[in-house]
Amino acid sequence: MEKLIGLVTANYSTKYPSALSETRPVASVPYLGRYRVVDFALSNMANAGIRTVGLIMPYNYRSLIDHVGSGRDWNLARKKGGLFILPGSAFGTSRTGSRFLLRDLEHNKVYLKRSTADLVILSSASFVYNMDYNQLAAAHSQSGADITVVTKSATEKDVDVTGFVVEDGRVHGIRHGVAFGDEAFLDCFVVRREFLLSLLDWYEQNDYLDLFEALSGDYGRVDVRTYRFDGYAEPIFNKDAYFRSNMQMLDPKILAELFPAGRPIMTKAHDNAPAKFESGSHVSNSAVSGICRIYGTVTNSILGRSVVVESGATVNNSIVMQSCVIKSGARVENAIVDRNNVVPAGTELRGTPDDLFIKEKAAD
Amino acid sequence: MSKKECIAMLLAGGQGSRLGVLTRDIAKPAVSFGAKYRIIDFALSNCANSGVDTVGVLTQYRPYLLHSYIGSGAAWNLDEGDGGVSILPPYATQTGGAWYAGTADAVTQNIGFIEQNDPDYVLILSGDQLYRMDYQKMLENHKRHNADLTVAVMPVPWEEASRFGIITQDDDERILKFTEKPNKPDSNLASMGIYIFNAKLLVDTLREDAIDQTSEHDFGKNIIPKLLADGKRLYTYEFQGFWRDVGTIASYHETSMDLLGMQPDFDLYDDENPIMSNAGAKPPAYVGPNGAIDDCLVGNGAQIFGSVRHSIVSTSAYVGERAVVEDSVLLPGATVKDGAHVVRAILGENSVVEDNVVLGSVDQTKDTAVIGNDVVVGKGEE
Repeated sequence: MEKLIGLVTANYSTKYPSALSETRPVASVPYLGRYRVVDFALSNMANAGIRTVGLIMPYNYRSLIDHVGSGRDWNLARKKGGLFILPGSAFGTSRTGSRFLLRDLEHNKVYLKRSTADLVILSSASFVYNMDYNQLAAAHSQSGADITVVTKSATEKDVDVTGFVVEDGRVHGIRHGVAFGDEAFLDCFVVRREFLLSLLDWYEQNDYLDLFEALSGDYGRVDVRTYRFDGYAEPIFNKDAYFRSNMQMLDPKILAELFPAGRPIMTKAHDNAPAKFESGSHVSNSAVSGICRIYGTVTNSILGRSVVVESGATVNNSIVMQSCVIKSGARVENAIVDRNNVVPAGTELRGTPDDLFIKEKAAD
Repeated sequence: MSKKECIAMLLAGGQGSRLGVLTRDIAKPAVSFGAKYRIIDFALSNCANSGVDTVGVLTQYRPYLLHSYIGSGAAWNLDEGDGGVSILPPYATQTGGAWYAGTADAVTQNIGFIEQNDPDYVLILSGDQLYRMDYQKMLENHKRHNADLTVAVMPVPWEEASRFGIITQDDDERILKFTEKPNKPDSNLASMGIYIFNAKLLVDTLREDAIDQTSEHDFGKNIIPKLLADGKRLYTYEFQGFWRDVGTIASYHETSMDLLGMQPDFDLYDDENPIMSNAGAKPPAYVGPNGAIDDCLVGNGAQIFGSVRHSIVSTSAYVGERAVVEDSVLLPGATVKDGAHVVRAILGENSVVEDNVVLGSVDQTKDTAVIGNDVVVGKGEE
């Protein structure tokens, strides 16, 4: 089997910022109560046996580095290899929608040069999916392609996703935005390490471009092929997609697809006491994380760690993140309540299903 | 290796035979407790929270799960470069080798570990007790008394006193009398089986005890009475708070239930001194559209579609549609299928109660129902 290393570009935001990603990169946006979006890229790599991963950091890296630490939770605290914290270019922090800016790769050429691996899997930290990267690597090696990009069949809701123009199995170009049924890019590809280095040399003068834009004139000579992923995969590019994807996890079948027993999604370990459902609480169709204490009513919602829902409070069709307190008699509906918020007694945070109320992160 | 002031020796080799099927395949310290913990988490977390960073864990009975669970000790911040967790199972030497023949013998056989760390004090702990204690406070108490040995004690109900090592002390907390499991206790101050010894005295005493043919090599039965008889300075450290030695199925069940209610006896939510555990990452607990949960602790990865009242639903346990669970403990991965009714029961890890099976009884005079790990209970087998 060929030797793999990983490179995760965690330094991109989206074209469609919201209160959720204003203060943090998409990579460290909380997902399903206890995870963060970057967990999917890191776990997919870890589950494929990859023990060397470069993580290109965003400008506002505090939350991300706090989360990944030494990489131990993804088996990346190694004597040789392990987690490499890599600098990202300042340009990459702007909301270009780009995920593989050449300058970011160029800056971190030394990471690629020092490796002896055959293949590099590059992934953004902006999709949630659970995929066997070994199968991807095997398909790449077998096809003889220069680059193999992971795609899914686009839905009408995949805003801001990059699409590929594919003919006879080969990529001939990219398009920004996709239509139903298009080959939608999961922002993940595999390439021979030596070939990636030579691409960086070719495009040295164009390092302000995204790799796949830079390739535009060269799809004739660079053999780029697609690898179709048919499992659950959703982009976290805007608040609606974020909300929709979280809520889909309330379907146990979809949950089992994203979190299968054999390929766990790993995350920073916390010493969470179990959730406590007190007498008089009513909870239905909801996901409840550790240390939550529920006295009130929670329906069709997702609670992050350490959320308190007091007696007489109701939470419906909402995401409530870590350490929030919903005071007695308060009402939260069609809302995303970011960390550390206290919703005062008797008050309402209320949006509509089409226009969610977003409550920004509160200070610690 | 730097000199350590105090190291811990954690006795984790016991079978816990009175826990029946729960310890058929695993040692008692490895038994799951409190939805996401294993019993040994409490002692290891206490060590970490007390700054005791060198812990020898003495294992013997069915140690596989215990060993893999402890791993590097990282889950309890005990993966120290200098110290940390050392697993100490029985071993062979040029002259043979032997099983641990008693609590004191287990430590005697690991005097080498003590000498290697060269501590001033040795803390002896049991791996099968549930409590939260700051061992530094006990150590300060030990030093203040200029003691040779300090025994942690707590008052127990008089009717239970004959189950414990019972202590009589003077006004200065000096131990006057120690009787292991007395028939007619004259005090209700019980030893918790937690000791701090001056290291040199411990090593010397254990070496003498090892060649004593009449000794059972037990701390409570032999070592403490001998030191008392020798006129050594033995003092107590009185502990206040929740402490349980879950020796039996009934006490395991009762102690589990103590975690429930609005003001539970044991606070799992103490942020300053968290009980740490080596838990894998699982998604949050999920409650289905028809789920109804009242007064329960629920671990990550659990899925509940039926009704659960006054129970503990551990990591990745499952309760099906129309199933009813009451006053029960579902250990990790236990499954109660659709329409089953489980009351006053302990379901072992990955056990299964099939559709519509009725298990257990509300009748308090009947024993708590217990299903072993990996056992499947079908219709007609309950």
